[in-house]
Amino acid sequence: MANKMGQPGRALGLSTMASLFGGIFSAICLMIFAPQLAKVALTFSKAEYFALALFGISIITSVSSGSIIKGLMGGALGLFIGTIGIDGMTGKMRFTFDSTYLLGGISFIPILIGLFAFAQVLASIESCYNETYEKKSVHIKKVLPDFSDIKRVFVTLFRSSFIGTFIGCIPGTGGDISSFICYDQAKKWSKNKDNFGNGEPEGIVACEAGNNAVSGGAMIPMLTLGIPGDGATAILLGALMVQGIAPGPLLFTNQPVQVYTIFLGLLFANIVMGIFGFSLIKLFSKVINVPKEILIPIIFVMTFVGTYSYNHSMTDVYVMVFFGILGYFMNKTQFSMSAIILGIILGGTAEQNFSGSLIMSNGSFSIFFTRPISAVFIIISLLSLLSPLYSPLLKKIMKKKAA
Amino acid sequence: MRKKFVSVILCAAMAAIMTTGCVTKGNDVYPSEDIEVIVPKSAGGGTDISTRGLLTYMEKNMEGAKFNVTNNADGGGITGMAATANAEADGYTLGAVTVELDMFCFQGKSDLTYDEFDAIAMPIAAPAALIVQADAPYNSIDEFVAYCQENPEAIQVGNSGSGAIWDIATYLFEQEYGVSVTHVPYPNGTADIAAALTGGHIDATLADPSSFMTQIEAGSLKCLGVMASERTNLLPDVPTFMEEGHGLVVRAWAALVAPKGMPEEELQTLREAAKAALESEECKEYFQAQGIEPVAYIGDDAYQIMKEDYEMYRQVFETIDFSE
Repeated sequence: MANKMGQPGRALGLSTMASLFGGIFSAICLMIFAPQLAKVALTFSKAEYFALALFGISIITSVSSGSIIKGLMGGALGLFIGTIGIDGMTGKMRFTFDSTYLLGGISFIPILIGLFAFAQVLASIESCYNETYEKKSVHIKKVLPDFSDIKRVFVTLFRSSFIGTFIGCIPGTGGDISSFICYDQAKKWSKNKDNFGNGEPEGIVACEAGNNAVSGGAMIPMLTLGIPGDGATAILLGALMVQGIAPGPLLFTNQPVQVYTIFLGLLFANIVMGIFGFSLIKLFSKVINVPKEILIPIIFVMTFVGTYSYNHSMTDVYVMVFFGILGYFMNKTQFSMSAIILGIILGGTAEQNFSGSLIMSNGSFSIFFTRPISAVFIIISLLSLLSPLYSPLLKKIMKKKAA
Repeated sequence: MRKKFVSVILCAAMAAIMTTGCVTKGNDVYPSEDIEVIVPKSAGGGTDISTRGLLTYMEKNMEGAKFNVTNNADGGGITGMAATANAEADGYTLGAVTVELDMFCFQGKSDLTYDEFDAIAMPIAAPAALIVQADAPYNSIDEFVAYCQENPEAIQVGNSGSGAIWDIATYLFEQEYGVSVTHVPYPNGTADIAAALTGGHIDATLADPSSFMTQIEAGSLKCLGVMASERTNLLPDVPTFMEEGHGLVVRAWAALVAPKGMPEEELQTLREAAKAALESEECKEYFQAQGIEPVAYIGDDAYQIMKEDYEMYRQVFETIDFSE
């Protein structure tokens, strides 16, 4: 991120510190609040999931750094891609054109690799076509972040860790959603909104802390209810059961020693991650010294290998290439990739839970507004979605008052 | 000059890596090389766990056998199952198939049917279980049915997606007892149904009981009946619908199969290894630790279940209209 600003050491230092803080914060929350938070997560029904997904989609307006119209167009494209395949709610096939591959929907990972990695490789090839290689020398003197930096991002760290832990404990969410929401919140609260996307310290720590705080949060419903919050905890659940530990409401009374060992393990894992991270920053930042002629072909090959190994599907690779080329041109025309990704991740969740809520309420829309958590999230999403319309007005009024 | 040198080295390294995958075929007794097994579901799910478990213990009972599992979950499993059916029947490509094989062909999703496979073994056949909240006013299937009759459409029953197996179980229940309930789909799977049922957002579900065992043991949910021919070891005190005089049998199975036409002798080798594996105590313990109740249908027994369910779903899709 901050390598455009020429301060990779500062960026890596801050992000490692944020990961460490987010992880430890959520592990401590897990220890103190697990049973209480699990009860909150259980009160989430389809209406709340819909409202939360809607809230996630609404932040498109703030992740699309350039034109808001282009952001919304990207979001709509993402929502459309999310509808392809068998609709789980009705069992009907949509936009499948008799293709077996499309029945299961387009996988998310190939699109992600295409839009971000493949498109970036194309752009880099273009930019270094006529460039001659110059050895850049990056010397990082210190790896631990400055005290002034820590002071500056301290509030963001806490806010993101809290949001991340909370999102983690809601089943069906994950690190990617949390990162987006934390970044959006950090931007909303920041004084330097315009500098986001150019290595603003608060932007870096918000994503990292939010992403890593999910790990502790996701373990809350897994341990206390036996309901995994994401893919990683689902595997962990299986592993614990093989060891004779049965997660569920009885775990805390029946096997307290094992539970607290797991807590300490999570805490320890985060500390070790921090130690490794800080001590290897100097090594990682050497990546910048690798000449592009060598780095780009390696990344290029990796995009193919990574896509194929995800699901052993050659079709996934074609999808990746298609979205890579699409992404290249979208980059040129200043479309926001994040908006597309948000649309894909959250579109399906929003739609399924929207129609599911209506099934449960016999078709009455009141279900979204009579349930308090759902109502609050829907109001926040509307505020967030419409903020580009009213925030200039607000600013004017504030200025007048100040004057 | 230096740049050229680097690229030559890189090319040579890549060529070396690529050729390591090529191994010549031997001519010894079966199996003389690695056996590829295509699992049509993603890694970590019930089908994947039970197939990998079965294969791990089969390796111990088959000298020189090594199974390599590849997951291909494209198209909800159709692609992976079709790949197994179309593979050469030489015993070096096997695959897992699931109960959906018997449903896809009636839903217009694929032409593939059970008779394109030879069955080796079926390690898992989870019944649909009627699960409700522990403090609900009904304590038996009959009381639940009576409640449904008094409150038509009021009971909300969770399933794993419209037209999917647990939804069909709910339709069969409605048809058998002449009641009507609201079907609430949770397309991401039974973990979401468990959360919704425990949180009190829905009233009941007809689904594989293994995802609900922690809540049942903790006393927040209870199971009223299972749609199986025999009681399940997971819940030995819970009656079957059969015992109550209603012949409802809905089971989510997964089976290890080979493409049709593989040499009989080699097929027998595989079946014997699977039988020995599934009868061993350590294999049973492995399955139970994963919350799966293992079954051991070998060869023709497994094939029979695949065929019976095919006939059942043919009737189901002829009589029930899922389009509303």
